[in-house]
Amino acid sequence: MNDDLESRLRDALRPVEPRKEFSAQLLARIAAESRRPAPGRASRARGFRSSPWWLAAGLAASLFVAVGVQHHRSELDQRERGLEARRQVIEALRVTNQKLDLASRVVRGESSETLGEHSST
Amino acid sequence: MKAHKLLMFTILLAPGWTLAAGNPRLTIPDFTALSKKASDSVAISLDSSLLGMAAGFLDDSKPQDAATKEVIKGLQGIYVRSYTFDHDAAYAEADIDAIRKQLTAPGWNQLVQTRSRKTRSDVDIYVMLDGKQAIGLALIASEPREFTIVNIIGAIDLDKLHKLEGQFGVPKLDPDAEKPSSVDRKK
Repeated sequence: MNDDLESRLRDALRPVEPRKEFSAQLLARIAAESRRPAPGRASRARGFRSSPWWLAAGLAASLFVAVGVQHHRSELDQRERGLEARRQVIEALRVTNQKLDLASRVVRGESSETLGEHSST
Repeated sequence: MKAHKLLMFTILLAPGWTLAAGNPRLTIPDFTALSKKASDSVAISLDSSLLGMAAGFLDDSKPQDAATKEVIKGLQGIYVRSYTFDHDAAYAEADIDAIRKQLTAPGWNQLVQTRSRKTRSDVDIYVMLDGKQAIGLALIASEPREFTIVNIIGAIDLDKLHKLEGQFGVPKLDPDAEKPSSVDRKK
């Protein structure tokens, strides 16, 4: 009985030569595993591949905002200059009218009442 | 008749005036030194582009703006220098002689010359005509403590300008208070 068991165990545990293609398959598998990226690395790689789009979109948005701000500032500047020109026109005409009025009063003889004696040359 | 209308008639009816138009733009001297002495100064230079810009900001629905817009329509430039001083004789006659000299050039016609001895105010108004149309106006007003130079270039309608009276704080003249005019017109 003991000899039988021993014989069966020896038979079961005897060294077996690997198949001929085992080594090649193992090496191929190791190579394949080393090429496959780790899960963390994969997402980083995917992020890197997609970053140019986000970068472009971000740059475009920044550019858009910058152009918008510049346009707004330009419009404000234009408006400021327009209002200043308007103020100057009104001031210029006010001064002109004031002096025409001064001449008119003298011409009309009102100077004797309001401006005093006048003379014409 | 209002004095300004009289001036307009004078412009339109004066047959002996030179019709050949020159350059209505005066060369205004640099009054920087004078402006430093002045208590108040106004230096306005508006070319056609600035006038156009200003017109864009005049609201037609407001009477003053609409009237102003009407006046500046057709103008190519408005140049004003006005200086007020705290004391008499702060400026020399020579300061404005350079302007007067330019107004002796062909094309300019003296429209009005007024002298008030009491206020010692002198006002000289010149126009440059192209046919019957005034294409330039020059005004020199001098008082002991103030002098003003105005040069307007373009089709000027003094009547429209006159209508602005009262809108800029300039009192409107009473049309019924007409008195004999002593306007001096030179040919």
